[in-house]
Formats: sequence, C-alpha cells, structure tokens
Amino acid sequence: MTRRRNTELGLMLMTVVIVCAAYVLASLGSESRIPANIIPFLIAVIALFMGAHIAVRRLAPGADPILLPTVTLLNGLGYVVIAGLNERLAAAQATWTAIGIIGFVLTLWWVKRPRDLERYRYTFALVGIGLLLLPLVPGLGYDAGSGSQIWVKFGPINFQPGEIAKVALAIFFAAYLADQRELIATSQWKIGPLRLPHPKYLGPVLIAWGITLLVMFYQKDLGSSLLFFALFLVMIWVATQRTSFLVIGGGLFATGALFAWRTLDHVKVRVDIWLDPWKTPSGNGYQIIQGMFAMAFGGLTGTGLGRGGDTRIPAAENDFIFAVIAEELGLLGGSLIIIAYLLVIGSGLRIAAATDQVFDKLLATGFTLLLGLQAFVIVAGVLRLLPLTGVALPFISYGGSSLVMNYVILALLLRVSDQTSTRAMNRAAAAVAA
Amino acid sequence: MNRSIMKLGVVLVVLYVALFAKLNWIQVVDKNSLDNNPINTAQVRRDFNRPRGSIVTADGVVLAQSIANPDTSSEFKRMRVYPQGELFGQVTGYFSFRYGSSGLEKQYNDELSGSTFDQQVKSFGDLFLARENVGNVSISLRKDVQETARQQLGDREGSVVVLDPRTGAILGSWSWPSYDPNTVSSLDKAVAEASWKSLNSATGVPMRPHFYQDRYFPGSTFKVVTAGVGVQTGKVTNTEPSYPYVDSYTPEGTNKPIKNFGGETCGGTLPDILRVSCNSAFAEMGAETIGPVDMVAGAGSFGFNSAAPIDMPEPAKSVFPTNVGNNPPKLAMSSIGQNDVQATPLQMALVASAVANGGVIMKPHYLTEVRNVQGDIVSSYTPSKWLTPLSTLSAATLFEDMVGVATSGTATGMAIPGCTVGGKTGTAQLGTEPPRSHTWIMGFAGPPGKPPTVAVAVVVLNQSGGSEATGGRVAAPIARAVLQTALAAQGGC
Repeated sequence: MTRRRNTELGLMLMTVVIVCAAYVLASLGSESRIPANIIPFLIAVIALFMGAHIAVRRLAPGADPILLPTVTLLNGLGYVVIAGLNERLAAAQATWTAIGIIGFVLTLWWVKRPRDLERYRYTFALVGIGLLLLPLVPGLGYDAGSGSQIWVKFGPINFQPGEIAKVALAIFFAAYLADQRELIATSQWKIGPLRLPHPKYLGPVLIAWGITLLVMFYQKDLGSSLLFFALFLVMIWVATQRTSFLVIGGGLFATGALFAWRTLDHVKVRVDIWLDPWKTPSGNGYQIIQGMFAMAFGGLTGTGLGRGGDTRIPAAENDFIFAVIAEELGLLGGSLIIIAYLLVIGSGLRIAAATDQVFDKLLATGFTLLLGLQAFVIVAGVLRLLPLTGVALPFISYGGSSLVMNYVILALLLRVSDQTSTRAMNRAAAAVAA
Repeated sequence: MNRSIMKLGVVLVVLYVALFAKLNWIQVVDKNSLDNNPINTAQVRRDFNRPRGSIVTADGVVLAQSIANPDTSSEFKRMRVYPQGELFGQVTGYFSFRYGSSGLEKQYNDELSGSTFDQQVKSFGDLFLARENVGNVSISLRKDVQETARQQLGDREGSVVVLDPRTGAILGSWSWPSYDPNTVSSLDKAVAEASWKSLNSATGVPMRPHFYQDRYFPGSTFKVVTAGVGVQTGKVTNTEPSYPYVDSYTPEGTNKPIKNFGGETCGGTLPDILRVSCNSAFAEMGAETIGPVDMVAGAGSFGFNSAAPIDMPEPAKSVFPTNVGNNPPKLAMSSIGQNDVQATPLQMALVASAVANGGVIMKPHYLTEVRNVQGDIVSSYTPSKWLTPLSTLSAATLFEDMVGVATSGTATGMAIPGCTVGGKTGTAQLGTEPPRSHTWIMGFAGPPGKPPTVAVAVVVLNQSGGSEATGGRVAAPIARAVLQTALAAQGGC
C-alpha cells in the first residue's frame, strides 16, 4: 500500500513540475516575462496537490495511484490555458479547484465504505431527479446565455444542479441494479421469437428515457441528456449482461433523437452546423469553424502556451477549451489530453473489474463512463465528429459545479479502489494467520 | 460483469481512437487548406497582437512602427503606422491583417517580430526580464535623398534609384505614382478593402515598387553595357577601332538601316561615340566587333537575365535577348538598348555602379542592421559582391569615357561643380506621331581623384520629344539634384 502511495507521490511531484513549468511558459509566450506571482502559484499548486495526496495517503492508502496525478495534471493544464484566456476566470477557477479538492478530501473522509451510500439510494434518486428539474422552477432556473436552461440561482450562488444530479443518479442506478439485477436478468417476456426482459423491469428504462427527453426538450441540454441515458443503459447492460437492453434503449434513444431533430429548432440547428458549418461561416457555423482554424493553426507542435488562446472562439474557456489546447500544444498536446482520459478510463474500469462487490463494481463503471463519455462527447463535438453538445471537458473546462463534482467522483472511485485492496490484504493476512 | 466492463473499455478506446484520427485530420492532413481558407485570419491576427519592431532610415526617421491601438475594444491590441506615408510606401510595403504584407515588412518579417534564430538565442538570457523580444530594422535609405527625388520627379511617372557603389547600400529609391500604406494596413476592414480596391484600379499601379519590379527599354544608357563588354573582351579600346562617320548602319541580313538621331553623321573611337551617343557606331560594335556570343555573355555579366539580389520581395529580371546568334539586325538593335532589351531602373544604377566601383557590382541592399529594444545590435549586414563584369582597368576606361559624356557630351546637365561626375543619357522612343519616349539618365559622382561615392539611375516615362537630347533635358536635372543631396549627406565632394 505504501508502494502505491509512493508511486502516486512521484507522479504528483511530476505533475507539480509540469503545471508550474507550463504556467511560466504560458506567461513567457503571451507577455515575454516570468509571471510575477510564480512563487504564490507554486505554493498554491504544491499545497493543493500535496494536500490531496496526503489525504489519500491517510484516508485511502490502498487506492489506485494513477488517477489522482492524471486528473490533477488535466486540472492544472486547464487552469494554465484558462489563465491565458482570461485572468478573472482563472482566479475563479483556482478557487473552484481549491473547493474541488476540499470536496475530494471531505468525500474520502466522510464515505468510509461505498456501501454507506447504497443505503440512501432513494434519497439519491429523489435528490437527483429534483436537482435535474430544479432549473425548470420559475424564478430559480435561468439560461446563462448558452441556450440551455441548466442554471440555478440561489441568492449569491449560481450552479448547475445537473452536475450534482449526475452523481446522485449514478449512485442510485448502481444501488438499484445491484439489488434487482438477478431478477431483471432472468425475467422473460416472450413475444413470438423475441425474448425480452419482463415489462416490470422495463419500467425504469422508460423512466430514464423520460428524464432524458425532459432534459432534451425543456432544458435544451443535448449533451447531458445523452450522458444520462447512456449512463443508465450501460449500467443496466453491465449489471444484467442482456444486450437486449442496449438494443431497446438504443432504439428508444434514436427515436427520441430523430423526433427532437424534426421538431426542436435548437437540435436541428446543431445538426445542420455539424453537417455543414461552411454554409454559415459567420453565423451558426462560426464557433466550430474558428475552432478548426485554431487547431489547424496549431499543427503538429502548436503555437506554444500563451501564444494561441484565440479570443475569437466563443466559449473558448469552456466547451471549446480543447480547441485552444490543440492550438497551443498542437497535435502532441491534443493527443496527450486524449491519452490522459484513456488513462482515467483504464484506471476506472480496472477498479470496477477488481472489486467483488456488485454495488462497487456498478458504481465505478458508472462514474468512469460519466467521465470518459463526457470528455468524448465534447471533444467529438469540437472536432466535428459528432454534433456539438455543450458539456464541460471534465477537469479542464472552466466551471465550478462540474469541477467540484468530478473531484467527488474521483474520491468515490478511489474509495472503491481502496476498499478492494484493503479486503485483499485482510484476506491475505487471514490466510497467513490460518 | 467483468466481460461487459471489458467490452465497455474496448468501445471507449475505439471512440477515443476516432478522436485521435479526426484530430490528426484537422491538424495535419487538412492543415494547409484550413490555414489558407480566405476567412481564416489566425496568422495575421497573431502577428498583429504581438509586438513588432520599427523600420528606421539612416538619418533616423521612423518609417514604420507599431503603436497601441487607441480603440481598446478592438480585437487588435496594436496597430501599424507609417508616419512618412507615401514617401517610403513602396519600400516599407504594407502590413495588413486583410492582405498580408509586402516590401520590407515582408522581407524582414522575422527580424521585426523577433523570431529569427539569432534573436531567439540572444533573448534566451533575458528570460527573467520583462522586455519585448522584437527587432528594430535600420535601413540605408535617407529621407533627404528620398524627398529630393520626389520633389524633382514631381507628378511625372518614373523612378529614381540612388546607391553607394562601394557597398550596394541603397540611399534613395523613389517611384511615382506611390501610395500611403496606412490605409491598406488599417484595422478597419472596410477602410482597408476600399483602399485596396482603389489602389489596384488606379493608373500606374501605385502599390508596385516600379524601381525594381518594372522594366523599360533602356535606350542609349545600354550603350555603356555594350561599351563595357567591348572593352572587357579586349575588342574595343579608347583608340581602336574607329567607327566610320555615317548617318546610319545597315546590319547584315536586312536592308533596314539603323539611323542616327536627327539623321546626324557620327563616328570615331569609343570616347567620341559615347559622348554623342552614336547609334550607327554602337550597332556595328555589338553586331560585328563584339558578336552575339560575347554580347549575350557580357550583358549577363552585368546582371541582365537574372534578378538583382536586392533584399525585397520578387525583384524583376532585366532582359537581354539570347536568340541573337543568327540575327545580326536584332543584335545590332539590342546593342543600342532597343528591340527586346529591358531593364529595371535598379539594374541601370547597378551598371553605373560597376563602372564607378572598379568593375564590381555590390549586392543592392537596404538593411544595415537589426537592433533589439535596448539598442544593441543583433545582426548587421556585411556588404558583398554580386558580379564583376569589368576588370579594374576596363572600369577605369569606361569611367573616363562616362566622365567625358558629363563634361562635354549629352549628359552635361548632371555635372556638379567641384565633383567628378560621369553619366550616360538614354531616350527610348515609344512612337513618332507625336514623338514620345522614356527618358533615362544614369551615372555616378564623387570627390575628384577618388572613386565615386554615389551612383544613380533616373527614368521619366512617356515624355514628349524623341531626340537624344531629351534624356539630358528631362532626366539630367533630377539626377543632378539627388546626387547633390546624397553627396552632401556624405560630406560633399
């Protein structure tokens, strides 16, 4: 267990060096000088990153050593890029990073066993659905200008409840499926040659589908609706091993998407832009075209940190931050980000595969999918591989709600991982004692 | 369940590989077409928002500089201004976010933006200091020479090139019509586009630096090249041969005579025929005394048929026809600067500088040095040879003969008291009804008994009159005035 932590410490130190070097280079690139606040910056980075590491050492000593360094690297590079775009946002992002790491430590400290969460499954379900619907409450919810009704204002605090809802619903799905999976898996409903799951168990699928459509129709948040549905489908498929869920669910989603494309203007606009942005290069296609110009300009090695930061890309610090990274760091940097997410996915799924607890397994799978799929959806949108759906690039994009909740996800993944290795140690110790 | 998790992992990897593939497509495969998309302004916007050095003349006048954009809401933090406007417009060129760059702005883009290897390496030690890593480019042009040229040429179309024959440093290069680069470089897209459109449809193509990109019939100024080739090949001296006193010369293979101006009779040895610019004698010299092989090679040795290595974008090639082998009439016409011979004003100034500089043509050059913002020299230009068309001895012969033309020949209009001046006029006829011509003069000047310190070429386009005197009358005063200004700047004769 100490070995794992020492590996993590080494990787964390490398992350500190890389992030601080990137910060200096970005300042040199944009203003030809060493940043004045490099010493406070260095102290802050070391304090935050090492704080997180020490918390893991104390609270989850057996956890996977790769995830935390990878994620803090993404967070740090994201901060450097945001700082190059907008100093005010960078200050806010630094605060959110601190809150995120505090949330990470608190989660590790508070959730000693994942099972503790399993007990509150219906609370999580209610909280999740409630939060999801919150932006639709008149007077609370508002549209921050992106065209999606996904924000909530509580006095001085603005946040995206959907980010919290995702985590709550993943916990609920995992708990529900851990309980019901045997029943769902063995249920039969024969229609002619088809062998479908019993209608009783199709109910939750339809409810999830309903939530998805609700989010798509009323909040106009395409990316999140896709994520919710994919999360539920994949989790039920992993839990039951029944491919028919994927087929039925996929069919439902396709029907919903087709219907949305036909009837909803904002969906149709997104698809039209995706099919041919060059039709309206200074209108709807502007953002995606400027993003592609920026990435092409970066080429193989990039323009250098601080030397891109194209202010012409709308939402450069958020949805389009990948385009800015690919411009400044080139194909090499863009590939680095892709590989980093693959590492997160790999570590997350390995944690899921390693545990013998069904709930833990489903939870880890769900969380990994949330991170991996969300990153894919937004990067694919920026690259015009898929229609653009505005979701945050996990750990990199500017945005508090998303960053804090992703750190909570990270803490829970590490918690599952730690539990697994603790159990294995105990078993080994018991075997030796016997 | 682990099998499903593994499958999920495989699917996610496949999705990410697709991302990687598409990223490669955009950043590598499709890069050029995206970069060159007409609505893509990434490159210029980057250059515009980064610091850029100034262009400064030898007499300390700022020609181009970047200042903070007064409009703080603009996407451009800086703007490029040209305080001298049209006076140096064709030399500095423009630096436009809409149309890219031209002139010295294009030639020395890397130096101005601080991205040459030298600048990068030297600034490496400055990592810990807050300073801008740009280069200020000093050039050899002088504002006083430039102003004299503008004032003398007035609103007539034409060019003036003044250079130091010893180094190739260009002291003055003025063409009319010229233009003010400020409007094309405007940050206001509408202003830039309107100005671009009107300049491109204006008569005389004002944005074109005529003095090194336009070619004209050199007329009789080319006789210095013919004479130079004759002397250098040893076929002509100041005493041999003596050409017959005739009013025309009829080359082999034609019965169309080449007439002397005004039907006059002329002939004799080299100093005599150069002084009066005798067509019949030089036509015979090229066609018979020298012959096609030496004539073509000789013209090439003076820089014809290659572009002058000036530090500006896209210099034009001056032309001497190479298909004169079995064509004595063409060779004869070419030897007096007619037919297919074409020369830039810069090229003729270089011919004069060969005679003035002991037979060596130095590379024509604007750049003198690049300095960083502290004023330290980052790199400086070392003058170098381009061509050596004449031996020292041959150059001395030609020198003597050209001085003769300015003392008692067609170029007396450019003589300056107290200085040694040599020259040669030219009148390239364009038509006879009414007679119009490009009038030329080229030559050099310097303190008596010492090598000349200034060489000049002047062409005034499309002037009325067609006699050999026209060049002397129209172009000589211009050459004289700019030579005087340039000499005064050097401390006089």
